[in-house]
Amino acid sequence: MSDSSTPIRLEHITQRFRVIQERPDTLRELFSKFFRHESHYHDFDAVKDVSFEVPHGQMLGLIGRNGSGKSTLLKIIAGVYKPTAGKVEVHGALAPLIELGTGFHSDLTGRENILINGLLMGYSKRQMQEREQRIIEFAEIGDFIDAPVKQYSSGMYMRLAFSVATEIDPDILLIDEILAVGDAPFQQKCFERMESFRQAGKTIMFVSHAMTQVARLCDRAILIEQGTMVADGPPDEVIAMYESSMAPEVVGA
Amino acid sequence: MIELVRDTYRYRELIWALALKELKIRYKRSVLGFLWALLNPALLMLVMTLVFSTLLRFPIPHYAIFLLSVLLPWTFFSQSLAYAVESVVGNGELIKKVRVAKLVFPMAAIVSNLINLGLSMIPLAILMRHPFYWTWLYLPVPLLALTIFTMGMSFFFAAINVYYRDVAHILQIVLSAWFYVTPIIYSLDFIPANHQWIFKLNPIIYVINGFRLSVYYGLLPKAPSIIASFVCAFISLFIGFAIFRKNQDAFVFYV
Repeated sequence: MSDSSTPIRLEHITQRFRVIQERPDTLRELFSKFFRHESHYHDFDAVKDVSFEVPHGQMLGLIGRNGSGKSTLLKIIAGVYKPTAGKVEVHGALAPLIELGTGFHSDLTGRENILINGLLMGYSKRQMQEREQRIIEFAEIGDFIDAPVKQYSSGMYMRLAFSVATEIDPDILLIDEILAVGDAPFQQKCFERMESFRQAGKTIMFVSHAMTQVARLCDRAILIEQGTMVADGPPDEVIAMYESSMAPEVVGA
Repeated sequence: MIELVRDTYRYRELIWALALKELKIRYKRSVLGFLWALLNPALLMLVMTLVFSTLLRFPIPHYAIFLLSVLLPWTFFSQSLAYAVESVVGNGELIKKVRVAKLVFPMAAIVSNLINLGLSMIPLAILMRHPFYWTWLYLPVPLLALTIFTMGMSFFFAAINVYYRDVAHILQIVLSAWFYVTPIIYSLDFIPANHQWIFKLNPIIYVINGFRLSVYYGLLPKAPSIIASFVCAFISLFIGFAIFRKNQDAFVFYV
């Protein structure tokens, strides 16, 4: 068995969502529902009994179709969701890059967002001031750093988000598909940085639909289907399984 | 409650940054910016003096100061609530992506309005043609009680607004009704003595009393009134924070 310092450990994680067709968002609806004794929801397990561990220095690719539960898993690890059942253990400083512009406020400038983003991730103002220059340099967005981020392109957003998350030097990096919006040179830069993270013994979890990226970067892949982990192993094998599972439907369509 | 103190301290820099962000956005694109926090009460004083002392000839000398001594704290209270009630829902995108102590959002709403209150007290202190009583030094005491009271109410409304968005609308009506049943534009002395007990059920009246006595009358409130203001404040905080804490892990599913 692994020791307690394993960066990420999930044990029998289940995440149940209540999918409400018509959620009583207002009191009027609540009252009308109450008197008619209706319920318009069903429970849906976005993640079902998933267990795995990620050791130091591993880059794990999470693959699966849209809605299979990949992002939910990342959010559970990031501590955004408290799972319905099971146990999550995370050891080390964690930087989540979940969806574009995590925690950026559109009216504030890039520079101001660097600070707030860092504070959100639990770093101090001083730590962020020390890193500010390096973050700006890595992002390569020039004078836009002092413009409100609502004027940014999605690529610039992602550049800044990636720089903040990686310059704070976390032990665990969670990346959810955001790399897709970067241009090729910047993507390359991101991959190099992720590679150096791995070599430094850090843990990376990477959600992607770009199988070539997963095959190239990851040393392990996990395939999620309808909330269940169906494969865990070397990237090429897992990707082959994933692609073959999709093939009939592609033909059928 | 320990959690509240611990997390407020741990996230103090974040709360401060979020509060400044809120102020910045509030005064964004206004030429005078932060000056509005000063100008607003100053202009209001002018209007009030004109209307109540000159036109209506209210039997209260220095009516503007009589009014502003409690209107400014009231504005802090009602504005904090108005901001706080939306604070969790408004930061839903953030809550869905980063693990963050949820209490930072209502706290930031309160801190930003505290800064605003501080700025708006300046013209009151400078412009009033009224003796400057040493009892001003007592102001931090009612301010502390009011802040604690506001925190409790803010946590409560921020939490239930996550589930029922009507709450923000209901709150507006509650606040405007509350404004009129609280002796702000009038004095409790205007109320017949046998009806005053009804007004004394209002939990905010004790702290309001502390502000008016120290700024306008140059007096200190009596001990029972001070104790009552803190008892009300802590009851509000205990209930409000308990409800907020119990529900905070579920917020992410509803925002």
